[in-house]
Amino acid sequence: MNDTFTEPGSWDHAPAEDLEQLLPQLVAHLRERRAVLQEQWSARIQEAHLLEAMTPQEIAAETESVYDNYVEVLETGSVEALQDYARDLSERIIPRGVETHEVVGIVLLLRDVLARSLFEKYQQDFDLLNRVLDAYEPAANRIANTVAVSFVDERERVIRQQQDALRELSTPVLPVRERLLVLPIIGVLDGERARQLTEQLLDGIRRHRAKVVVIDITGAPEVDATVANHLVQTVDASRLMGASVIITGLSPTIAQTLVTLGVDLSKMNTIGDLQGGLEEAERLLGYVVTREEASAS
Amino acid sequence: MPGLTYDAGVGAAVVDSGADGPPEPSAAELHLLVTRVVRARVGNHPAAEDLVQETVARVLAASDRIDGGIEAYAVTTARNVIATMWRDEARFQRYQPRMVDLDEPDAPDMGVLAGEDQVAVRRALESLSVQERSLLLAHEVDGTSLATLAAREGTTAGALGAQLRRLRARMRAEYLIVASHREPPTERCRPVLVAVALRDQRRWREAGVDDHLAGCDFCADVAGPLLESSQQDSGRVAIDVAKDHDVVEARVAVRRLAADLGFDRSDVTLVATVVSEIARNIVKFAERGRMTFEPARSRPGIRIVARDRGPGIEDVELAMRDGYTTYGGLGLGLPGARRIMDEFDIESVPGRGTTITMTRYRKDTR
Amino acid sequence: MDTEPALFSILRQGQVLVASVHTALDDSQLLRLQRDLVGRVGTDRARGIIIDVAALDVLDSFGSKTLRDIAEIARLRGALTVIVGIQPDVAQAMVELGIGTGAVATALDLEEGMAHLAAALGPAWTP
Repeated sequence: MNDTFTEPGSWDHAPAEDLEQLLPQLVAHLRERRAVLQEQWSARIQEAHLLEAMTPQEIAAETESVYDNYVEVLETGSVEALQDYARDLSERIIPRGVETHEVVGIVLLLRDVLARSLFEKYQQDFDLLNRVLDAYEPAANRIANTVAVSFVDERERVIRQQQDALRELSTPVLPVRERLLVLPIIGVLDGERARQLTEQLLDGIRRHRAKVVVIDITGAPEVDATVANHLVQTVDASRLMGASVIITGLSPTIAQTLVTLGVDLSKMNTIGDLQGGLEEAERLLGYVVTREEASAS
Repeated sequence: MPGLTYDAGVGAAVVDSGADGPPEPSAAELHLLVTRVVRARVGNHPAAEDLVQETVARVLAASDRIDGGIEAYAVTTARNVIATMWRDEARFQRYQPRMVDLDEPDAPDMGVLAGEDQVAVRRALESLSVQERSLLLAHEVDGTSLATLAAREGTTAGALGAQLRRLRARMRAEYLIVASHREPPTERCRPVLVAVALRDQRRWREAGVDDHLAGCDFCADVAGPLLESSQQDSGRVAIDVAKDHDVVEARVAVRRLAADLGFDRSDVTLVATVVSEIARNIVKFAERGRMTFEPARSRPGIRIVARDRGPGIEDVELAMRDGYTTYGGLGLGLPGARRIMDEFDIESVPGRGTTITMTRYRKDTR
Repeated sequence: MDTEPALFSILRQGQVLVASVHTALDDSQLLRLQRDLVGRVGTDRARGIIIDVAALDVLDSFGSKTLRDIAEIARLRGALTVIVGIQPDVAQAMVELGIGTGAVATALDLEEGMAHLAAALGPAWTP
C-alpha cells in the first residue's frame, strides 16, 4: 500500500543531473549483461526454494519478462506498465498457490543480483559507485513495492470475489410472482450477513419493482435480540423503498422472548407460516390492484 | 533532600520576619503541601510526581529570596508549573497535526506557536556540528547549488546530496525529540528515529526500526508524525468546513476516497451520511473546522478526523446517547456514527473544541 | 432572496405537485425546497405532493427531518406527501444510523408514487 515510502520526497531528491547521466549508463549495463544476470537470478530463486509450484520453463519465461519490465522501469521511471504486468502475472500464479512472500522474495532477489552487478562494475571508483547506488536503490525499492502491492491487491480481489460468490449462494431473493419477493433465511444471521442480505433484498426490490416481501426465518437457527434488530432494520429499509415486509416462521415463544427483551415488533407484520404469509402478501397486492383498476375505470 | 536552606545561612531580616509570623514549614511539610496542591489539580496524571519535584526544587532554589509566606509562594509556583505542563501538552497535541498538515486553519495562538516552533527548530539545528549547519543553511536558506557547494567542499554533488539528506533526517528527528519535551530513554532511540526520518528501507532494516518501535514507547510516540508524513500523499484529503455547502463538499470528497479505497456502494453512502452529520455539527456549533479523510493504516479502510475549535461538548456521554438532541429535534448523529464505525473516539474540551477520530474498515477485512 | 439557482424543480400535474431533486442538496437548499413546496400547496390548491429524491447522495438526519416537516405541514394544509426514489444504499445507511422518515409514505418511483396517491385520494382525484 505504502509505495510513497521509498519514493523520493521533496527533501530526498537525488540531484537531477546525477540521475540523468547515471540511469542510461546503468540501464545499458543491465541490458548488456541480461543473459548472465537472469541466469544468476534464476539460480538464486531455486536456492531459496521460491516458486516451487511452477515448472522451470514457466519460471524461465516469467523471470525473463520480469527482468525486462524491471529494467524498463529503471529507464522510464514509470511503473504503470510494470503494474499491469504484475497484476496479470498475479492473476496467473495466484490459482497456483504462489504466496505473497515468494513474489516479494523473487523481486528482492533480482534487486540484489542487479545491485551486486553494479557494485562489481563500479567498485574501482567508490564515489561513482555511491552515486550509482543512490540512483538505483530508490527506483529498485519502488519496483519491489509496486510488484508486492499489485500482488496483494490482486490476491485480495480474488478472495473477495470468492466470498461474495459464497454469500450470494446462501441468500437467494426469489421473485415468486409479479411484485412479490420471497427471501428465505437459512443459517446464522450475523451483523455482516444481515447487511449483505438487506443489500440484496433492496436491489431485488428495485429490480423486480416489488411491493411486498415475505422474509421466512424458519431456517434461521437462533433468533435473539440482535438478529431481531437486524430484521427490524431490513423491514424499515424495505419500507423506505416502498415495499411492505411480512415475516414468517417466527414461533410464538420466540416472539414472546423478543418482546420481553424490548425488541419493537409493532412495526413488523408477522404471520405464523410461509403459506399464510404468501396469502397475506397476495391480499396486499390484490388490494392495490383493485384500487388501481377502480381508479382507472 | 537537603534541609531547607531557608533556615540556615539567610539574612537577619528573614529571621526577623520568621520570628514575627508563624514558623516556616520544613522541607517534608513543604513537599506534603505541594503534593496536595498538585494532586488536587491534576489527579493521578502520570506527570504528577514530576510536577511536585519541580515545584519543590523551584521553591527551594528561591527560598533565600523570599521574605516569609513560603507556603503561599509554593502554592503559586505549583500552579504555574501545572499551567506550563498543560500548555505544553496542548501545544504538543496541536503540533502533531501540524507535523503532517502544514495548512491548518489559522488561529489566534498561531503566532505564539510559530515562536515555539522556531525554538524547536533552533534546538534541532544546534544538534548539528558547525560545519554541518553551515552546509545545510547554505543550501536550504541561501540557495547555493549542490555543484557549487561540492566544489567548495572538495567533494561531488552526489555525495553532498546524500549528506544533506542525512542531515535533514537528523534535523527532523531532533525537532521531534525537542518538541516531545522528553529525553530518549536509550542510545538506540536517536539512530532509529533518524532512520525513520530518512525513509530509507535499508537503513530502516539496519537500525532495526520495527523491533525498536515495537518495544520503545518513546520512539513509537515521537516517530508517529514521521510515519504519518511518509503516507501523506497516499490519498489524504482535507476539507475546510464553515458553510452549509461545505457539508456537501465533505460528502463528495469522502465518497470519492471511500470508493477509491474499494468500499462498496452501500458502505460509501453509509460513511458519507456519517460525514454529513459530523460536518453539519461543525457548521452549527463550531462555525468552522476541518475534516480530513485518509486511508486507514493497518488494513484497507478509511480514517476520518473532524477537528474544530468550537465551544466543545459539555457532556460527551450525554451527547453519545441515542435520542439526544440539542436543536430542532435532531441528534448530533454521534450515537449512530459510533455504532457503525469500527473505531470511534471523541475528545471535547468545553471552550476549546472537539476532535472526532473514526475509522471504518472495508467489510471484507473487518 | 435566493440568489443561487434552485437545485430542484417543482412541476404541477393536475392536483399533484411533483418536486424533483437534481443533485445533492445542502441544508439551505433543503429549506428552500420546503418553503417553495409548502407555498405551492396553497397557491396551486394541490392535494398531493411527490418528492423524488433519487438524485440525493445521502438522506441524513436533517434531510429526513425536512422531508418529515414538509409532509406534516402539507398534511395540515390538506395535501398528502409521498417520498419516492430513495436508493437502496441510501435506505440502508438511514436504517443503520437510525434515521427514519417517520410516518411519511414512501414508494419506489414516480409511477408508484402516483399509484399510491390515486389509491389514497380515491376516485374523486383527477390526475
